Amino acid sequence: MIQDILVTGLVNGGVYALLAIGFSLIFGVARIVNIAHTAFYMLAAYSFYTLLVRAEMGFALAGIVSVAAVVALSVLCYKLVIEPVREHESAVLIATIALALIFQELMLLAYGGNYLGIPSTLEGVLILFGVSIPYQRLLILAVAAAMLAATWFLLYRTRLGLAIRATANDLEVANLMGMNVERVAMATVGISVALAAVAGVVVAPVFVVDPFMWLSPLVTMLAIVVLGGLGSLKGSLIGALIIGYVEAITVFALPAGAFLKGAVALTIMVVVLLARPEGLFGVAFEEER
Amino acid sequence: MFLLRWMWANLRNEVLVLPSRILALAWVVAVLLLPLAFPDAYVLRIATFACLFAIFAASWDLLAGYTGQVSFGHALFFGAGAYASALLSLRLGLSPWFTVWIGAAVATVFGAVVGFLCQRLRGAYLSLATLAFPLIALGLLFAFPDFSGGELGVSGLRRLAASATGNYYVAALSMLAIVFGLWLLADSKFGIVLHAIRDDEVAARASGINTPRYKLAVFALSAAAAGFAGALFAHYLRIAGPSTLEVALSFQVVIWGIFGGAATIYGPVAAVFILYPLTEWLGSYGAFGELRLLAFAVIVLLVLLFMPRGLAPWVRDKVESQCPRCKQRNRAWRSVCRLCNAPLRLGAA
Amino acid sequence: MLRTLLAAAAAAAIAGGAQAQTVKIAILGPMAFVQGENHWAGAEMARDEINKAGGINVGGKRVQIELIRADTNEIQSVPDATNAIERVITRDKVDFLVGGFRSEAVLAMQEVAADNKKLFLGAGAAHPQLGAKVEKDYNRFKYWFRVTPLHVGDLVKASFAVLGVAAAQFRQERKGATPKVAIIAEKAIWTEGIVKAAQANFPKMKLDLVGLWQPSAVATDVSAELAGIKRSGADLVFTVLSGPVGIVVGRQMGEQQLAAVAVGINVEAQKDEFWQATAGKAQFVSTLETVSEVEMTPKTVPFYNAFRARFKKGPTYNAAGAYDALHLLKEAIEKAGTTDTEKLIPVLEKTIFTGVGGVIEFDKRHDLIFGPGRVTGLAIQWQDGHKIPFWPAGVKGIKPFKLPAP
Repeated sequence: MIQDILVTGLVNGGVYALLAIGFSLIFGVARIVNIAHTAFYMLAAYSFYTLLVRAEMGFALAGIVSVAAVVALSVLCYKLVIEPVREHESAVLIATIALALIFQELMLLAYGGNYLGIPSTLEGVLILFGVSIPYQRLLILAVAAAMLAATWFLLYRTRLGLAIRATANDLEVANLMGMNVERVAMATVGISVALAAVAGVVVAPVFVVDPFMWLSPLVTMLAIVVLGGLGSLKGSLIGALIIGYVEAITVFALPAGAFLKGAVALTIMVVVLLARPEGLFGVAFEEER
Repeated sequence: MFLLRWMWANLRNEVLVLPSRILALAWVVAVLLLPLAFPDAYVLRIATFACLFAIFAASWDLLAGYTGQVSFGHALFFGAGAYASALLSLRLGLSPWFTVWIGAAVATVFGAVVGFLCQRLRGAYLSLATLAFPLIALGLLFAFPDFSGGELGVSGLRRLAASATGNYYVAALSMLAIVFGLWLLADSKFGIVLHAIRDDEVAARASGINTPRYKLAVFALSAAAAGFAGALFAHYLRIAGPSTLEVALSFQVVIWGIFGGAATIYGPVAAVFILYPLTEWLGSYGAFGELRLLAFAVIVLLVLLFMPRGLAPWVRDKVESQCPRCKQRNRAWRSVCRLCNAPLRLGAA
Repeated sequence: MLRTLLAAAAAAAIAGGAQAQTVKIAILGPMAFVQGENHWAGAEMARDEINKAGGINVGGKRVQIELIRADTNEIQSVPDATNAIERVITRDKVDFLVGGFRSEAVLAMQEVAADNKKLFLGAGAAHPQLGAKVEKDYNRFKYWFRVTPLHVGDLVKASFAVLGVAAAQFRQERKGATPKVAIIAEKAIWTEGIVKAAQANFPKMKLDLVGLWQPSAVATDVSAELAGIKRSGADLVFTVLSGPVGIVVGRQMGEQQLAAVAVGINVEAQKDEFWQATAGKAQFVSTLETVSEVEMTPKTVPFYNAFRARFKKGPTYNAAGAYDALHLLKEAIEKAGTTDTEKLIPVLEKTIFTGVGGVIEFDKRHDLIFGPGRVTGLAIQWQDGHKIPFWPAGVKGIKPFKLPAP
């Protein structure tokens, strides 16, 4: 049972981590509460499904086209919808909710309320300590690690990363220093949605694709990012592992209470917030004025 | 006679001088007379739901708009009120006229607890923590199905009134009372303190205001109104189910609140009275019905692009202007202030 | 020009004349989803058949059926569902109501139908509470009849019979070994009775119960649960699932290469789309089913063929239910000689009607009577992308249940 918990928790934590990195970036760094983030994840999953199953394009091509298309769409949405209301924080918030609903309803119209299955990119299982792990989940783990490393590299080792962090710290000063803050914000949106789209392509095959699939990862993602601390990549990785393990422990300790795993994970998040209002690795800001 | 004269004077000098107040008066009259014009059960049902959701949206606005504690889990209070009232009236056989108050009281307790737990949280952290509470409550509902009715909820409730018109008036009068109550409160000294807390909590605290106590009070008060709406909703629908706690409902109220204009009370109410019948009307068009949520989202998005502060403040700014000297509001087409005679526009003295 | 005008006027006159002689039936369902689509398709088919054959004979007068399509949106919103039913009753002035799917919403819709004293034939919701209300407060709720599916209490009996078939097969193939059974039941009121009955009956059925897992009906991942089931060494997995979690269970069992076979109730596995939704990983998953393409009654196979020809896909029980509901109404109206709801209710209570999925007869809760010769339901197993019916024995078209090679 211990080995089951250890392996299952790690693998599911990896799935969550991949979903959470992009969210952490846009939420923590660009300070946009993007409710539509997982809706882009859903769009990527639908696009991948269509290209792979209906157009029979092959995994690599379908994946690349999906990610590119979704990123292009997100930049377009940012230009048309978010940028004009960027000054009004609450307007941004419901603009993203409205976008998510629009995507949901469009998918509902185009594909109906059917559940769709995407074939695994890699078939087969690895037996580790008597626990079977599908190769697809190992792939997710690997992609999550690669994405974390790439995002870290981008943020801390490139000029664009420097610009993103600078605008996140103080938008006005960054603007005064002659940075094109609009373009930086757009780049941030593009990168974070790219991460969501990669998650859609890699993670969606272990789940079921339907027009409401954005809602449940959204809640998990929010919990992870808040738990780990806004804007901290390390925080979201550790938050993802915590949620993964908490869920696995709930299921194994209390099989008849498996339905409670989401509620238990959220309770853990609330408890952490009570102890550390800025999350585990978040920065405690001075009271903002 | 004296009373009548006094009322007329008040009406002429306080209400009829401003277009927004005339609109509000017209709306109140319309709400009260609706059953006379449309006695049809379907219209009354839509209007009843609109009234109940208006209470809910106004309660959210008091919390989110005035103190800046943007709750993403307001459905918790709606659901708590619904379940508490439903369980008491069904299991103990109490009259729903009594249990709706208990429902509101239970919701108040929930509000106080959530407010207390979230006291140290601000901004996005607070929003996301509040999102968690209704989902945790949902988990608990499923854990104790004998008590909560699990996925079905508590059904077979008694109604507050027998006829469609009676139920409508229960909802409409509650709505008018609560909305005006909240509006008066928000316009009072208490409301000014709340504005201060939202805009600069540190400065408010430095001025000797016990900000945590105010925030907690608002949490409880807002929850009470939401719980009352939830309890009325349960008895009207005759079922209190898990759908009263769903994320969708929490998001819906955020949309209504911000679409109408936060920190106005009347804005979210207007938003519900516009958006709810509109989506229902769209939904009634045969094949078009499946597009209702899409149409809803597109309308919200478009309106927002033109009025980022919300519908009600935008309209108000179009028809009224503020006197630069005494800060009183005037009709937009007046050239001098109605109270202090200061010129309202440059070169229009 | 004049001719077109005249033709239009004539058409309008005919339409107007026809309107006076129609029975209006509202089809209520979540029209953006498979369930509502099927409600509507089944109803359309029945309407066209009845109208083409001259309509309904109401006391000697031929009357056509007119359908009103009402999107209840019940999966997303309960108030929307009650608004829809109120609208068709008060605005469209329909005579009868058919449909419904999500139990929480149908309970609320039942109240509106009762308020307006309209006959409401259920074609989707399975919760026993719906029928219990008829028994408890007959005068108020006598307007509700459940044409499909069986209510949950009867599903228990059927699902144990099916589990018995699977267990017998297992003992035969594995030389008398006692099968280990794990239960995976979504956490819900409707599964409680089944779970309790299973825990009580498994020793009697000579089954070894190794554990109970209860995920949420909308869980998107059950890999931890399945790891636990694998660890328990289960040979059979008794599923009690109605929500989308059924797909996840089907798919992830295949993905994690569990040796166990799923038997029981898995509502998602009844749909034709299930195989695709699990990306073809649901080999040997089986479930109870309300109708399938075997000769349960003489009507079953012709219905399937006609439905496939018209809609290019197979029907679900919602389609069969709506189809049966319309034909049942026709028979009852013709017997009673009137469309008066109060007079139709006693007729419906006495009717024995051969439908697509079985012979319909109502008990005192206005639920279907369960048993051989009435409605039993059947069980299917997914084998290489096809739904293969394997229970009840003795029906034409039944094939054997299969276990994976050990």
